[in-house]
Parts: sequence; structure tokens; C-alpha cells
Amino acid sequence: MRPLSIAASTMTNACGVGTRAVQRALQSGTSGLRRNDFEPAASLATWIGRVDAVDASRMPDAFAAYDCRNNRLAQLALEQDGFMTAVRAAALRHGADRVGVFLGTTTSGILSTELAYRARVHGEVGSGDALSPEHYRCRHSLFATTEFVRAYLGLRGPAATISTACSSSAKVFAVASRAIAAGDCDAAVVGGVDSLAMSTLYGFHSLELLSRERCRPCAVDRDGISIGEAAGFALLDPQAEAAVCLTGAGESSDAFHMSSPHPDGAGAAAAMRAALADAGLAGGDIDYISLHGTASRPNDAAEDRAIAGVFGAATPVSSTKGWIGHTLGAAGIMGALTSELALRLGWLPATLNCVHVDPAFACAVVLQSRPMPLRRVLCNAFGFGGTNCSLVLESAA
Amino acid sequence: MMPLAIAGIGVCATGMANWAQAQSALLSAASPTLDPLPRLAPECLPPVERRRANATTRLAISAAMQAVEGLLPEDVEQLATVFSSSDGDGEVLASMLAALAQPQVVLSPTLFHNSVFNAPSGYWSIGSRSRAASITVCAGAASFAAGLKEAQVQVRATGRAVLYVACDAPFPAALASFARGALPFACALRLVPAAEAPPGHGGCIDLSVRDPGPQAPEIPVTELQARFSGNAAADALPLLLCVAARRRSRIALPWLDGSRLWLDYQP
Repeated sequence: MRPLSIAASTMTNACGVGTRAVQRALQSGTSGLRRNDFEPAASLATWIGRVDAVDASRMPDAFAAYDCRNNRLAQLALEQDGFMTAVRAAALRHGADRVGVFLGTTTSGILSTELAYRARVHGEVGSGDALSPEHYRCRHSLFATTEFVRAYLGLRGPAATISTACSSSAKVFAVASRAIAAGDCDAAVVGGVDSLAMSTLYGFHSLELLSRERCRPCAVDRDGISIGEAAGFALLDPQAEAAVCLTGAGESSDAFHMSSPHPDGAGAAAAMRAALADAGLAGGDIDYISLHGTASRPNDAAEDRAIAGVFGAATPVSSTKGWIGHTLGAAGIMGALTSELALRLGWLPATLNCVHVDPAFACAVVLQSRPMPLRRVLCNAFGFGGTNCSLVLESAA
Repeated sequence: MMPLAIAGIGVCATGMANWAQAQSALLSAASPTLDPLPRLAPECLPPVERRRANATTRLAISAAMQAVEGLLPEDVEQLATVFSSSDGDGEVLASMLAALAQPQVVLSPTLFHNSVFNAPSGYWSIGSRSRAASITVCAGAASFAAGLKEAQVQVRATGRAVLYVACDAPFPAALASFARGALPFACALRLVPAAEAPPGHGGCIDLSVRDPGPQAPEIPVTELQARFSGNAAADALPLLLCVAARRRSRIALPWLDGSRLWLDYQP
């Protein structure tokens, strides 16, 4: 693909509000995970990556109809790192109708419906607009957060929510690059926003996929995932100067099972190969791989096999889920933005909480964060339904 | 932009179990009688997945299968797919909400994995043994147009065929207050570069976000279309009518902020 500058970016997750706060936590080795204290699902003995600032944040009156945890999280993230200023400048330069918005989410503002529905079942009187058509459109539906973000940023270009489970906000990069190449827009805001919800916490519990401790990706004793919430955004603008560019995207399907990965990671390997081909690179050109690395036993094993098959065993790999948890629809962009950070800092993040790497693994799992000059990074995001997406980011320097 | 040819077409909706029935309903002068669909059991799915798959997945796949009829399995495997829906599966949502409202929450794992918006895509990939790229998009009332746009952009980017499937279904009574559409509707379009249009293809389409100006006469809403009001996937109906009638036209698809995406159709 034609290189696409990441002209601005911002992320908010359990490690902090804004990229600078997240960077401090990453570099000091501080996990953002905590024992589950999320009231609507408090009975689950697991660990979560919660963003405290969401609880205290408020939406402006003009956006009252959009008020829900997911949109608050989106708004909180948009206000960090000068992101709004960068988007305003892009809208002035290109025209607001020439800047697209493509966001990933798996559950949008479903929590607001879960709580309203529970209140209705228990005969509690909810607020007048609970479960109304407006509630559905502005808070619950999968397009709600994209519609909110687009309005909040004052953009009028093409827009869509991409919802392919945990690959959603990796795929937004591919969608934006195609839309820009096709001339449908000149620049695009891409992102991912997913917030804590009963459906996902109880859902992963039903599949026995929740860890009872902090998740430990790649570890011999890993026992499942820790669910987190996060919002991240990037402004992609081919005309902008930037330290890091998106240079490749690859997508594939597993054709295997709805909630288990192909044991050999055949679909994952196909996505990685497609991303390399899109970037015009060979496996040996990649300096570091940011794993999907959820800490689920079969997922990590399949990803290890897939990587060993495509890259061999020498390329350093790590997962940041031990810091922020598995942020589902935001996982793709969390991987992309931590990779961007790694490229800018010349620094490899460790696989936090992993002490002993699974001896069955072939890959070089990074256990200690360390400085290392990086030119090219590949990041992975895979999801239910056997959906896979890999991205290649390159340092422009 | 690059025009696309419709190389395959499928419809599965109330009163229109396939494209042949849809053509009759679309071209009929009489008021349409719309028989409810039977329980769908798409043959391409292995028996276990056929049992597990949720209703919108079976609806979407029933339309998709028609659009690839006559293709060799190895060609179906190569087909990238784009799915769109405004609302996903309301039955699954209602079952999840009911379970989550209980004092002791017990959720079925199958219900949970069926709750992902890309469930139709995942089952399709299993049924067609396709490892090709697949994406699922939503843009509220503009969902049909957003998916068609993504399909067009993908064909342009790769020069290869894309199977586009749009699907929406009613919500159950427990969620009636959301006021969604009353009838299920899915359609599938196998889109190829116009230069590679096979003999007997369904005509060519082109899409533009730019307003072509006031000269474009709008196609009046038919009675059939009105019956599917509130179902975003049924925004395909004006296009399907023009394909059935082999009628050249410019169609205004619902787009963002109440604006239109312009679709030119050439038989």
C-alpha cells in the first residue's frame, strides 16, 4: 500500500489517560490490571483493566443523548494528546467532508441497555428514554460511537463501524487506507472503543476463558484473559509528515471454528503473509512483532506456531495484554499504538506477568523491556468468527 | 470510480425465499402477498454449525449461497466477503439481556459466540472453507450503502471479485421499544470488475458520494419496499427492482446525516 502517515494518535486504557500516561506505565513496568470491582459483574473472580476516569467524566449537554460508558470513554480519549487540535487542522486543510471516520467496537454502549433491561425486569422505573429508539441509535447500536465521534469532531466524510470481534480496530486501518486510495476521503480518523460490559465479562466466563489472576500471555501457567476497556484513535493523512507510517495490512479468515483458533494458526499466518506482501517486505525485514497474545491457552499457542512458520524463531515478540488486558474491539488499535510508541522510542515492551515462557513455544518472547532501534513492526489482532488482521508500521526516519 | 458488474445475486426475505421469487414480487403489479420464511437450514454449513447458527446468520448465508451458485468450490473459497447490517441479531441480543437480568447469570457459550456482529461472516467462512478476507460493517441507517461502498473499494483495490451480503432481521417483542423493522431481509451481490463481467450478468453499478445534482429523478417507494421499512438491508430493493426490470437508473441510497449515496445502474 501507499504509506499512510500516522499524523496524530492517542490512547486511553487501564494504564492511563492519554499516551504519555500509558508510556509511563509501560516504561515503569506497572500493570493497569486490578481485581474485578466492576459492579454489574462483581460476582466474577477475575481481573480487569478498568479506566477509572470514565466514571467521573461527563458528556457535554449537546451530546446528552449519547451519554453512556462507551461514548464517555471515547470522549475522554479524544481530549488527550492534542488529538482534537490535529483533527481540526486536518478538517481545515482537506475539508470536513473529506475526512473519514472508521471505528471498531464489539459491544458499543450495550452496558446501558443491559442495566436498563435488568431494571425493567426487576420492575424498577428507569429514566424515560431507557430502551427508546433514540437510546438504541445513540448509545447501544454498533454505529453509536462512530456517529458520536464523527459529530464530536465535526467531521462529515464517509464513516462506518467495523465490528469483527477482536480484530475490529486493526481492520479500520485497512478500511481507511482503501477509502483514501479510492479517493472517497483524503484523510481518516480510525480508532477502537470498547468498554466493560456484562455481556463480555459473563460471555468469556461462560467459555471458561477468564483468568483468575492477572493474565499471563505466553506463560507456561497462563490460564486465560483479563478483560480491559480502552479507546484509541489515529489520524491517517498521506500528506502529513509523521514519525511512523502504516505500510501494510493483511486480512484473512480461519474457516475453522467460531470461538477457537485454528490450532496451527493457518488463518493468522495468512494474514501476516498478506500484510508483508502489502508492505513489500519479507519476514526478515520485521524487527519486532506485537502479539495479539491474549493469554488464552489455545490462542497464544496457535499464534506462536503461525509466527514461527512465517518469520522463524528469531524475531522478538511480546504482548501488552498484561498491562491493559484484552480490550476486545479496541485491541487492534492498542496493538498498533503501542507499536507506534515502540518505534518512536526505540524500545521493546516486555510480556508483563509472563515469568516462564511456555516451553512448547518457538518464538523469542521478550521478558524484559529493553531499548532496541526499530524500523519495522508487525502487529496482530485476531477474533471470534476466525477473523484475522495484521498491520505493518514503519519508522519514517 | 470503477464500475462493478453484478455476477451473482441472492435474496432471502419474507415472501422472497430466492432471487426468482424476488423478481416476481418486484415486477408484479398486484399487491404482494408475503409468506413467512420457513426455518432456514443452509446446506453449506456442517450439521453442527447449522444447528448452532443464529437466525440472521442462516438468513444471510441463504442469500449468499444463491449468489455463488454455479461457481466451483475453489472459486468460492477465494471470494473475499463484505457483510453489512444495521442491527445484527436481535434474538440473540434479547436472550443475552434476559440471561444477564437474572440474579444468577448463566450464559450459554454458543449464545455468546453467536452474539458477535461478524457471526454470519464466521459461519460463512466455515461453510465455504474460505480463508479469504472478510469484513462486517455497520453504519446505522446507512449500513447497506456503507457495505456496498466497502465492497466497491475492495474490488478496486484488489481487482478481484467480492461477495457482498446485507442482512437485517426484526427484534423480538421484548425489544419492540427499539422500533426496528418488522420483516427479515437479506440480499447478496457477487461483484466483479465490470471489465470481467460474465455473460448474462445482472448489469453494472457505480457509486458516488458526490451529489450528481438535481437532474436525478428519484425512484418512488414501492408498496413492497414500504413493507420492509425499518430494515436497513432492504435498501437494496430499489436496485433489485431495476435489475429485475433491466432498467437503467440512478438510485439514491440512504447515507450519513440523512444525505444520499448515488448508485448508477446500467443493465
